[in-house]
Amino acid sequence: MDTPTTCSNVGRQNPVESPVHIERRWPADGYTRIPYWVYTDAAVFQKEMDVFFAGNTWNYLGLDCEVPEVGCYKRNWIGTRPVIMVRTENGEIAVLENRCAHRGAQICWQNTGKVNDFTCPYHQWNYDLNGNLQGLPFKRGVMGKGGMPRDFDPKQHGIRKLRSVNRGGTIWATFSDEAPTFEEYCGPEVLAEIDQVFPGKKLTLLGYTRQLIPSNWKMYIENLKDPYHATLLHTFYITFGLWRADSKSENYPIPNSGHSVMISHNEGKKVTEATPEMQRFRTDLEMLDRETVTPKKEFNGGRVGGAWVFPAAAVGIQANTLKTRHVIPRSPTEHELVFTYYGYEDDDEDMTRRRLKQANLLGPAGFVSMDDSEMLTQCQIGATGYPHEAGIIEMGGRDTERTDYMVSEVLIRGFYRYYIEAMGF
Amino acid sequence: MLDNEAVCLYALGERVYATQDRCPHGNASLSEGYIEDCLIECPLHQGLFDIETGKPKGPPVTTDLKCYEVKVNDGTVYLRTAGP
Repeated sequence: MDTPTTCSNVGRQNPVESPVHIERRWPADGYTRIPYWVYTDAAVFQKEMDVFFAGNTWNYLGLDCEVPEVGCYKRNWIGTRPVIMVRTENGEIAVLENRCAHRGAQICWQNTGKVNDFTCPYHQWNYDLNGNLQGLPFKRGVMGKGGMPRDFDPKQHGIRKLRSVNRGGTIWATFSDEAPTFEEYCGPEVLAEIDQVFPGKKLTLLGYTRQLIPSNWKMYIENLKDPYHATLLHTFYITFGLWRADSKSENYPIPNSGHSVMISHNEGKKVTEATPEMQRFRTDLEMLDRETVTPKKEFNGGRVGGAWVFPAAAVGIQANTLKTRHVIPRSPTEHELVFTYYGYEDDDEDMTRRRLKQANLLGPAGFVSMDDSEMLTQCQIGATGYPHEAGIIEMGGRDTERTDYMVSEVLIRGFYRYYIEAMGF
Repeated sequence: MLDNEAVCLYALGERVYATQDRCPHGNASLSEGYIEDCLIECPLHQGLFDIETGKPKGPPVTTDLKCYEVKVNDGTVYLRTAGP
């Protein structure tokens, strides 16, 4: 990738022009190497925001059960852009830029709430739930003096509404008029994963965990696309049998996109030929309350995992815990991670309790996830110190073909194969 | 002020009308607003009310204004605050 490539594909994610010019050369070994400057360079970060988050992608906003009534809203971000999803008078969900048309202030400062309309606190410009500017103070001046020019037309100064879609209760939006439909964007494999855990049943919100991780946002994505580490780093997984190097699994990068699907099968605590290889397998540890690691049989038949929907969201099931993950890039060296836990309206009390209890594996203090955020912190420190060096992504080969085994970095290679072309490296 | 509530008086042609002064939407004073025909426009967000009936006539307002029955006797304006 020494010569910049122009994107000739007509696939589901055509790159968008970005004014950011980057004087960087990708290593000659292509997508089996990740130069550490992709985790530190401010120009690279800005170009990612332009090309991906503000480009022809569909981005996760939330679940429709988070905004149950007219006027209920949830604040979120698409990349670094603040946005709002809100239930409007006709019962549909709209996605708006969270930015007053006047001076750019966020018109919505809270994560969730319920309003009749939005008023910017700065000069009290007032917008309806669809973002239309309804009125502004002193439009006609004060005591006959001042005011807005007579030709000022509020209709021309509303808040931009994004294209959005509701798929089985998940809400997605795009800034692009040229992005394909959400269904085309995802493709059949990813869509099947979304539909499996969002089959159209009414959803129940169970809760959130949020954390700030001092690493580049892509490191989190790569971590999710890396089952190799899961079998080594996470003592909890290995010992209690939820995710092991010898588990039956499938990894498939979706060609010509940043999406991927990763599936594994819960097999319980066991000792096989591969067990001695797992240094963190602890025969001396026994969990007295097995319910935390014992999924109850349900619709998925023990098949866990899910899909990464490029750029920044994942859907899936782990044990009985249903959740979405959303990555919000904050700066080249910082991202926010939000888990949203949910259930189905027809879950009984026992199932709801399990979905919540098994969520203890995830989030900032999760029995498993806490290893990841600590590890990514360490990776960022190394990358920041040595931006001219590069990571090696060769486990499982140098290709991007789908695998039926666990110990592979194929999904990271698939991601960078797409990334290099989309970013023009 | 009437019963601790500010009242806005309007002179439309020969007749006088009275409504609550406080806009129910944005906590503004309608007496600082603008009259167009028989409508009052709130100075804060340009909500419109019918002065005679108190009905909302343009967004963002959605609730009625309280209206008072008015009698003018020898240059003095009287409002009815309760039933006969």
